[in-house]
Amino acid sequence: MSEYLLQMTGICKSFAGVHALDHVNFAIRPGKVMCLAGENGCGKSTLVKIISGVYTRDEGEVVFEGNPISKITPAEATRLGIQVIYQDLSIFPNLTVMENLAINSEITEGKKFVNRKRWEATAKEALSKIGYEIDLQAKMGELSVADKQLVAICRALLFNAKLIIMDEPTTALTKREVDALFKTVRQLKDSGIAIMFISHKTEEIFEISDDVCIMRNGKNVYAGPTAELTRQDFTFHMTGRELTDDHFVPKNISKEPVLKVEHLCQKNKYQDVSFELRKGEILGVTGLLGSGRTELALSLFGLGKPDSGTITLNGQEVKITSPIQAQKLRIGYVPEDRLTEGLCLQQPIADNITLSSLKRLSKAMGFLRHQDILDDANIWKEKFSIATDDVRRFASTLSGGNQQKIVLSKWLSNDLDVLILNGPTVGVDVGAKQDIHHLIHELANEGLAVIIISDDLSEVVVNCSRVIVMRDGSIVGELTGSDIPEEDIIEIIR
Amino acid sequence: MNKATLKRMTRRTEFWIFLVLVIMCIGIQAASGGGLFKSSTVVTILRSMVVDGMFAMCCLVVMVSGGFDLSFPAVAALAYSLATTICVNMGWCATNPIAGLLLATLIGFVLGMLNGWIIANFKLNTMIVTLGTQTFFTGVSMGLLQMQEITSTLPLGFRAMGESYLFEVYNEAGIRSTMSTMFLFFVALAAVTSFVLNHTMFGRALYAIGGNEVSAERAGYNVKRVKFILYSVVGAVSGFIGMIRVCMERQSIPKAMVGREMTIIPAVILGGASIFGGEGTVFGTICAVGIITVVSNSMLLMGIDTYWQSFFNGLVILIGITVSAVQAMRQKR
Repeated sequence: MSEYLLQMTGICKSFAGVHALDHVNFAIRPGKVMCLAGENGCGKSTLVKIISGVYTRDEGEVVFEGNPISKITPAEATRLGIQVIYQDLSIFPNLTVMENLAINSEITEGKKFVNRKRWEATAKEALSKIGYEIDLQAKMGELSVADKQLVAICRALLFNAKLIIMDEPTTALTKREVDALFKTVRQLKDSGIAIMFISHKTEEIFEISDDVCIMRNGKNVYAGPTAELTRQDFTFHMTGRELTDDHFVPKNISKEPVLKVEHLCQKNKYQDVSFELRKGEILGVTGLLGSGRTELALSLFGLGKPDSGTITLNGQEVKITSPIQAQKLRIGYVPEDRLTEGLCLQQPIADNITLSSLKRLSKAMGFLRHQDILDDANIWKEKFSIATDDVRRFASTLSGGNQQKIVLSKWLSNDLDVLILNGPTVGVDVGAKQDIHHLIHELANEGLAVIIISDDLSEVVVNCSRVIVMRDGSIVGELTGSDIPEEDIIEIIR
Repeated sequence: MNKATLKRMTRRTEFWIFLVLVIMCIGIQAASGGGLFKSSTVVTILRSMVVDGMFAMCCLVVMVSGGFDLSFPAVAALAYSLATTICVNMGWCATNPIAGLLLATLIGFVLGMLNGWIIANFKLNTMIVTLGTQTFFTGVSMGLLQMQEITSTLPLGFRAMGESYLFEVYNEAGIRSTMSTMFLFFVALAAVTSFVLNHTMFGRALYAIGGNEVSAERAGYNVKRVKFILYSVVGAVSGFIGMIRVCMERQSIPKAMVGREMTIIPAVILGGASIFGGEGTVFGTICAVGIITVVSNSMLLMGIDTYWQSFFNGLVILIGITVSAVQAMRQKR
């Protein structure tokens, strides 16, 4: 019996001649948390699919509990005790918690008829594995993401799981929910189950993992204990380049504020908010979820009317009643959830970039020339180094970081005075994150006034020369300086 | 009954649909001066629910699985036209309609298999596929096979079955209404559908697929097979229902079913089936079919112009679909 639960050596997999995995070596110890890290498209999901039996490897050896496994099928993986919790959790929103928990084992056992008594027993057994309590009759779709995740974990445990693979489980969770999840993960770990945790969030990886395997371009570039790795090494392995935190130093701040907000109130959302914003400045607005930061931003973009207070833009008092008007006033807003709110994924990149500047591009009588759109899009492609060979490709073909660049260029292709960015790098890997930060710095130095709304404090600290902290709808602190310590923000945030 | 179950119940569309049906019936009863709750009217309404109600069951199971079947009227029409023609030409079913029923069911099964095969193998949008097969089946019936209307030469066995009844009632004018034996088929189909949906893993597979097809596949359901079986069986049942209709109407008219899907699908949606799949019950569907039948019968009863019937049917459909969409939106939030 080796010390490893699962050992994979020299794994190769190609799709149509392209190496998705190139001699990957990888091992998991029982009762340990192993993080699989890497930027988008590095082969993480291909590796997972090989372990779970969805794909068959071209080359390489797999040893599970000391026994060589020649071919893994999904059924074989389940029998061995390998369970995958996919990012979408594979749940049925229209069915009850009980049915969601029981359904897999019912199918595996080849049951033909429904026996709700047996379902209930199965479901209760599943919940008892981690001592989790929830109404079995509740509809799955009505639960929070965190609860759904726990149900999915319980379901996986029913199959005497020895290895649980979690695919980016923290993406849709709040900080508190992440903590709760980690508690469960540690509990599982203590009971001897190995966890393979897929993530690209540095902080989480260092918090939860015992071992880490970093992949880049289909190869694993690092595998070993997390403790032996510094954050700088980690980032280097992830991106293949040395990344340094470039703190933003404002170069040319205008004398007069471009935006002045005074005593702005919206009932039950935020109260008595006042601040000024100058050209060339990056202002951070931070606070916990529900602190009113997003609502404030939406009001500045004409979504959600303030009840009282004034907004002054370039010395003139304005009422912003709609996004259209906000755009006319040269205010841009990039939403938190770029995928649902900011992008048409199944449309060409070029069309996405030019979406908000069609008026500028159109000729007499509103006719558009296709070539103008492509030319305009290509300018932004160069400027932002968007990783595509052709702007006529769909936006969905790009990685998260590049998608975010499109959303940004969409707004910037109109001349703006104020740009509001809500969580500009949520779900973006470290490399692309830094590209975006540099871009924002450049824009500010060109004279744009930027507001960054974020709960990622390191992001706020790196980018903002001034930070306002919100709590329960009010501004509770303001910090200035090019190097604001994170701890200072944390102190006033709660 | 505790508070949670009560809350859950009132949140269901079925509950409201049932309430609407009851209130509407009371309203019409009052407005028509006691015209609704008379044995003769009740019998007439139940009788006219038979065919639509049975088709609604077919629609329901398809919608639960997240699909749409637009082709069932065309399947039924082709099945009963062909089966009746064969029976007439062969001189079958002079006393016993069984051969005709089996034949129509078999033809429906084959046509349904075509639907199922295309949908399961090519993973196409069900609405598009069944729109295609609907047109194709109608074309086969009218063009290729040159199906004719059969009225006076209808086999006597069909006639006899259509005219058989469980009991008869008379109204004050002495006009006879009969409770057709065919009503039993409706009851049986509703009972079987309910059993399949709630008490078999096949039925649960339909809900699972309707809820999240990818998850259903990962959970271990053979989605392809389930879909193939579903559409094949729905085809067979549609053929059978078509034949029941021929018996009840005592005529086989190849064009009679055209456009029928456009009244039945909305009724099923009104009854709580989600247009996105994964939701829907037999009880809700029956209530919704009840509402639509009661409305059109009452309008006849009160002597309201038939155009107003379309108006009301349309209105009911719009309300049903809006409610369904609003609920789906709420759930997403």
